Amino acid sequence: MSVISEMSQDGQKLTISIKGRFDFAKHQQFRDAYENKELAAVVVDLKDATYLDSSALGMLLLLRDHAGGDDSDIRVVNSSSDVRKILAISNFDKLFDIS
Amino acid sequence: MQPQVQLTILIAEDSAADRLLLSSILRRQGHVVLTAANGVEAVDAFRRQTPHLVLMDAMMPVMDGFEAARQIKALAGETLVPIIFLTSLSENEALASCLEAGGDDFLAKPYNQVILAAKIKAMERLRRLQATVLEQRDQIARHHDYLLNEQRVAKAVFDKVAHSGCLNVAPNIRYLQSPYALFNGDLLLAAFTPSGDMHVLLGDFTGHGLPAAVGAMPLAEVFYGMTAKGYGLAETLREMNAKLKRILPVDMFCCATLLCLSFQRRSVEVWNGGMPDGYLHRIASGERTQLAARHLPLGVLSPEAFDDRTEVLPMALGDRVFLLSDGVIDTRDANDRLFGEQGLQRVFESNRQPDALFEEVQQALRDFGGQARDDVSMVEISLLQPAQITPPALVYSDSGQSCPLDWSVSFELRAATLKRFNPLPYLLQLLQEVHGLRAQSGALYSVLAELYSNALEHGVLGLDSSLKRDAGGFARYYQQRNACLDALQDGYVRVHLQVTPTGEGGCLTIRVEDSGKGFDVARVMQRPVDDIRLSGRGVSLIRQLGRNARWSDDGRSACVEFFWEALA
Amino acid sequence: MADTHLDRDVLNALQEIMEGEYPTLLDTFLEDCETRLQQLHKAQSAAQLIEAAHSFKGSSSNMGALRLAALCCRLEKSATHSSKDDIQQLITEIVSEFAIARPLYEEERQRFLMDR
Repeated sequence: MSVISEMSQDGQKLTISIKGRFDFAKHQQFRDAYENKELAAVVVDLKDATYLDSSALGMLLLLRDHAGGDDSDIRVVNSSSDVRKILAISNFDKLFDIS
Repeated sequence: MQPQVQLTILIAEDSAADRLLLSSILRRQGHVVLTAANGVEAVDAFRRQTPHLVLMDAMMPVMDGFEAARQIKALAGETLVPIIFLTSLSENEALASCLEAGGDDFLAKPYNQVILAAKIKAMERLRRLQATVLEQRDQIARHHDYLLNEQRVAKAVFDKVAHSGCLNVAPNIRYLQSPYALFNGDLLLAAFTPSGDMHVLLGDFTGHGLPAAVGAMPLAEVFYGMTAKGYGLAETLREMNAKLKRILPVDMFCCATLLCLSFQRRSVEVWNGGMPDGYLHRIASGERTQLAARHLPLGVLSPEAFDDRTEVLPMALGDRVFLLSDGVIDTRDANDRLFGEQGLQRVFESNRQPDALFEEVQQALRDFGGQARDDVSMVEISLLQPAQITPPALVYSDSGQSCPLDWSVSFELRAATLKRFNPLPYLLQLLQEVHGLRAQSGALYSVLAELYSNALEHGVLGLDSSLKRDAGGFARYYQQRNACLDALQDGYVRVHLQVTPTGEGGCLTIRVEDSGKGFDVARVMQRPVDDIRLSGRGVSLIRQLGRNARWSDDGRSACVEFFWEALA
Repeated sequence: MADTHLDRDVLNALQEIMEGEYPTLLDTFLEDCETRLQQLHKAQSAAQLIEAAHSFKGSSSNMGALRLAALCCRLEKSATHSSKDDIQQLITEIVSEFAIARPLYEEERQRFLMDR
């Protein structure tokens, strides 16, 4: 499974981990990870993500929209330097907490 | 046994008794039977009646089963016609020959009805599977053709929208773009403003195919429409962002770099949302300034959150701005290595002739190998003398029969309005109602823009134009401008327009007043008209383009006239 | 060889399949056999022998003449490396076996016609 989601015990934090290429092929899986859940805080863990393209950026936007838009609490963690660079050029650090 | 579908089955068997027996078995199972006594008859029967399945004896006179099987398979082509060999061959090699000849299965003698029925059923499943695959393949091929055609149509429509630009006619633009760039989301637009400035947009939509192309059309319309009316970058950006935010799905957006190149003011205004770095090359010093992405792409943020702040940099004659899409950086060679930023920097470092840089990048990409991509877009825009740039004449859509010839209008724009509103496009629209003024639109707009920005920046905001002396000061000036504008509480700019007929023609008087402290008019008038200085050129521009330019009320009020003769 | 001359079960199955055409099948088979025997006698090479024996084996097994089929199988397998005499011997055995089987088929034919 290349997209793994885990809800914390108290239901307050959802962690979605991506393994391999974060691209359009993972579209449905990524959506399924958060779709029918009550979202409070969300963490997207990119530790094992090798690559990120513009459709992945679109998927993050969909997640943000679903999680409350401007009121959402989404952190993107463990980004490799390549992934960090892509997020920086698109200025997504203005929308997401990226580390 | 379950009822079977009725098939037409060809039996090729040289023993009459075996042939008779097998036919009876098959007829009892509900099938239609064709018979042949040797290979030649078998191929012939197949050609004439195309059975669904063939039961082939391996050893037959005249032409044996293997050869007949080969010929039948060749005749069948893409369609699957299962061939079951009838054999009492026991050796493995003999069985292998059956399969090599194209046999799909074999049935041993003595014939077992149950086994035969089961094999026929299994072969029929395979036959249907193959038929389905071929049908789906053909369907896909048809759909693909429809898609290609739809794309052709979309492109034709888009080209009509995009033709109003100046990409191909302006002498200072060089560009590279695949004709199919549109379907990779790559967009390149360029147009003149009424005052002769140039707006350029290099964009990259997410997605491929029609979805990427569909977003480009409304964006291009906004770009061309607003640029032609004299709107500035900020307003155009706000409108484009709002439009895309409204019409595109949440996960679609458009990375873009937008430029406003002013040949008169010798500056470039930049906004980069999510695109790779652009580069400003200064020819004199050889310096390269990165134009990095400081904003989110268009279509992501709501209008309230959108950041339209631009950077302004000075340019000298011959300086050029170089923009590229990420297809350049992402080009990979046969070994999957990336051309990357490093590849680009290498070309920059080894460049000796600025004019050749564009070709050198193209050549480097070719040399690097890898496949030619549809999403490699590059554009180079140079700053030339205003005289070398001739914007096309504005096209008017009215019949030109009647127009207002004797009127005046006044506006007072106060602090809250000054912060967010640019009155210039409206003023220009108004003035274009006067047909006699249309030929001087460019000059009119430039003068109006200059008067307004002087009134706003030097008057109301109190900025010191001498800050714009050098590149660093330039940036500071514009930062200060934005900060002061944000903090503005009081102040006003008044604009008076008066049109009066004079003989066969007429006269337009423009007066702009501000609430600022004014300036030492006499001193500024004494300064020579200096081409190279970055600051203070506004006053000389007004004096050159308009008539009887004068300042009063300690410089807080500026007045200039335009005349026109009778129209032919 | 404990093979029977004519396998009763096979004959029953054939009868069930062929129904009214059962006699025709038997007649056709017997005609085939004559032709095959001719081929065996006239064979000039091992290849021709093998081909004839192979076909004969196939139809015999279909028709339940098991002993006949077994003999043909032996001939088919040994045709290349056996002596002319041995081959002749086998052919003779085949001819004999057919001589036994043939009347049995004719009897079977009669029985069928009478039972109807």
